[in-house]
Amino acid sequence: MHDPFSSAADPAVSALRRELTAAGVLVAFGLYIVSVARRIPLGVATDPLGPRFFPIALGALIALCGVLLASGLILARGRARPAATGKGSDPDDDTVGTFSVSRLVAAIVLTALYLAAFEPLGYLLATPLYVLSVMLLHRGSAPGTLVLTPLVVTVVLYAVFKYGLLIPVPDGILEPLLRRGG
Amino acid sequence: MGVLDQLLAGFGQALSGYGLLIMAAGVAWGIIGGAIPGISGAVAMALALPYTFSMDAATALVMLAGVWAGANYGGSIPAILMRMPGTPGSAAALLDGYELTRQGHAAKALGISLVCGTIGGLISIIVLIALVLPLGNLVLAFGSPEVCALAVFGLTLIAGLSGTSIVKGLAAGAFGLLLTAVGLDTLTGSLRLTFGRTELLSGIDIISAMVGLFAVSEMFYQLARPARRGEVVAGAASTAFPTLRELRAVWRATMVGTVVGLIVGIMPGAGATASSFVAYNEAKRWSKHPELFGKGSMEGVAAPETANNAVQGGDLVPTLALGIPGSNSAAIMLAALILHGIIPGPFLLTQQSPLVFTLFAGLILVNFLMIPVGVLILRGCLLALRLPPPSLIASILAIIVIGTYAADLFLLNPILALVFGVIGFGMRLTGFPPAATVLGLVLGFLVESELRRSLIISHGSWAIFVTRPIAATLLALTVGFLLYPLVLNLWRLRRPPRPAAAPASGR
Repeated sequence: MHDPFSSAADPAVSALRRELTAAGVLVAFGLYIVSVARRIPLGVATDPLGPRFFPIALGALIALCGVLLASGLILARGRARPAATGKGSDPDDDTVGTFSVSRLVAAIVLTALYLAAFEPLGYLLATPLYVLSVMLLHRGSAPGTLVLTPLVVTVVLYAVFKYGLLIPVPDGILEPLLRRGG
Repeated sequence: MGVLDQLLAGFGQALSGYGLLIMAAGVAWGIIGGAIPGISGAVAMALALPYTFSMDAATALVMLAGVWAGANYGGSIPAILMRMPGTPGSAAALLDGYELTRQGHAAKALGISLVCGTIGGLISIIVLIALVLPLGNLVLAFGSPEVCALAVFGLTLIAGLSGTSIVKGLAAGAFGLLLTAVGLDTLTGSLRLTFGRTELLSGIDIISAMVGLFAVSEMFYQLARPARRGEVVAGAASTAFPTLRELRAVWRATMVGTVVGLIVGIMPGAGATASSFVAYNEAKRWSKHPELFGKGSMEGVAAPETANNAVQGGDLVPTLALGIPGSNSAAIMLAALILHGIIPGPFLLTQQSPLVFTLFAGLILVNFLMIPVGVLILRGCLLALRLPPPSLIASILAIIVIGTYAADLFLLNPILALVFGVIGFGMRLTGFPPAATVLGLVLGFLVESELRRSLIISHGSWAIFVTRPIAATLLALTVGFLLYPLVLNLWRLRRPPRPAAAPASGR
C-alpha cells in the first residue's frame, strides 16, 4: 500500500530541500547556542578562556558550517543538481534510503510512551507492551513469537538486572505485590 | 630473583587453588558486563569488587584484571553485531565492524576483534612488566598541554569521517564537542547549557548519546524502511578465527593499535575511547587500503580493538608506578590494591614484588583466557542474531532502555538515547556523519579542560604548546597531516598533465 508520508517523492528536489533545511537548522542552532553561551558567567580571572569560550566558539563554528553549506548548495544549484539523497557525504554509506515517515514517527512515539510508563507503570508491565508493539510495527511475526518474545525478553532482562546485577528496576504499580511476594 | 623467576612464581600464585576458574569467571563477567550498554568496564569492576573482599589479595587482583580485560573486549560485541557500543572504547570498532556484519562477515569481524585485542593486551602487559618504572617517569612528562595536543591530534579523524563534505563532518564534530560543554563546568563550577534543568548538571551521558546516535537510529531505520526489512544482521553462528594470511593483512593495524594504546594508556585521563579513535585514524593513514576504511575494513576493526585492549597495560603504568589512575577502571583497580594492603608508588616493585608479579602473571593469563571464554560467549551472541528481525529489533531497543537506565538509575539516560536516536536518524538522512559527533563527544572534554588548564599553568601564554617538545611534536603532526592532502593536490595541479594512455582493451 502506498504510504502518503513516504519520503520517496522527487529525489533531487527533496534532497536539495533537505540540505537547505539542514543548513538553516545549523545556522539557527549555532546562533542560539552563541546567544545562550554569552549569558554564562565569566568564571575566574586565573582562567584566561573561561567557561564561555568553548560553547561560543563551537556555536559560531556550527553556524558558519550552516552558512558554508547553504552557500555551497546555492552556488552549485546553477551548475548541477545534488545527488538524489543525502548519500555521498559519508564514507561508510551511513545514510538512509527510502523510508516511511509514519512508521518512523510511530517508532519514536512508542518509545517515548514506553519511557513515560517506565517508572509509574513499572518495568514488568511496560516492557512486554513495548516489545509487542514494536514487533507489531515491524510486522511479519508469527502469533507464537508475538506472545513469547515480549514475555521472554521482559523476564530475562528483569532477572539479569534485578537479581544478577542487583540494580533496582522500577516495579511501578506492581511494587506492593512484588514486595509481598519477596 | 630475576624478573623471569618472579614472573614464574607469580604464575604459580595466580594459578593456585581456584585461580584459573576465578579468572575465567572474571573474564566472562567482564565480557557480559561490557556488552551491556551502561555497564562499562569500571561499573563491571565496581560490581565485582565486593565479591573480592573474602578472597586473598592475589586472587582478588587477578579476578579484577579479568573483569577489566573482558569488559574492554565485551563492549565490541554489540558494537560489531548491532551497531550498539557496549562501552565508549568500542565505538570506533563499530565503524567497520558493523559494515562487516552487514556484509555477512560478523563472525570474522568478531574473530579479528578477539585475536587482535588479545595480541594488543598481551604486548601491552609485557611492556608493562619490562618498563613499569622507567615508563612511570615518562608519565610525568605528560601534562595538560600534551594531553590537549593528543586530543587535538585525535580530532583530525573528523576529516577522515567526513567523506565528500568536510563542512558536514566539521559541523557534526563541533556538535559533539559542544555536547561535552553541557553541565557543571569542572574548572569554575559555572552552569553551562543546562537550560535550567538540574538533570543536566552532570552533563550528557556519553554511552546514552552513542547508543542513541548509532543503535537507536539504526533500529528506527529498520522499523521505518519498507523494503529489505529485517536486514539487521547476517552471518554464521560461530566465531571465525582469522587465518594467518588475514592476520598478516592486519598486522600493521595491530601494531599501530598496540603502540597507540600503550602511549595513550600511559597518559593520565586519555583512556580507551581516545586511544581507539586515534588508532583507527592512524591505521587508516598507514594502511595500504585506506579507501576500505568505513566500508568494512578488517584493519578498521583490528586497530581500535588492539588499542582498546592495549590501553590496559599503559593505564597500569601510572597506577602502579605513581598511584595515579589513568581511567575509571584503573581507579577501581587502585582501590582494590589499596584495600588489599598494596600501596602503589615508585617502591612498589621492591616492597610488594610477589603480589605485583602475581598481578602481572594474572594479566597475561586473562588475556589468554579471553579466547576460549570469548568464543563461548560469542557463540551465544551470534545465535541471538538468528532471532526473527522483529524480535531482535524489539529486544535490542528494550536492552538499550534498561541498560542506559541502569547506568545511574536515571530516566534521563534512556530519554537521551531516544533524543539522540532521532538526531542520529536526521544526521544520516542529511548525510552528516554521526561518528564525527561521537568523536567530538569523546575528545571534547579532554580538549577543553586540558586547553584551559594549560593556559592557567602558563598564565595565558599559548607558547606552552610549542615550548614543550611532546605537545609541539603532536601539534606539528596534526598540522602536517591536515595540510598534507592540500599540498599533495596543489603539487598534482602544478605538474604538467601526462599524455593520455592508450586504452588497454577494445572496450
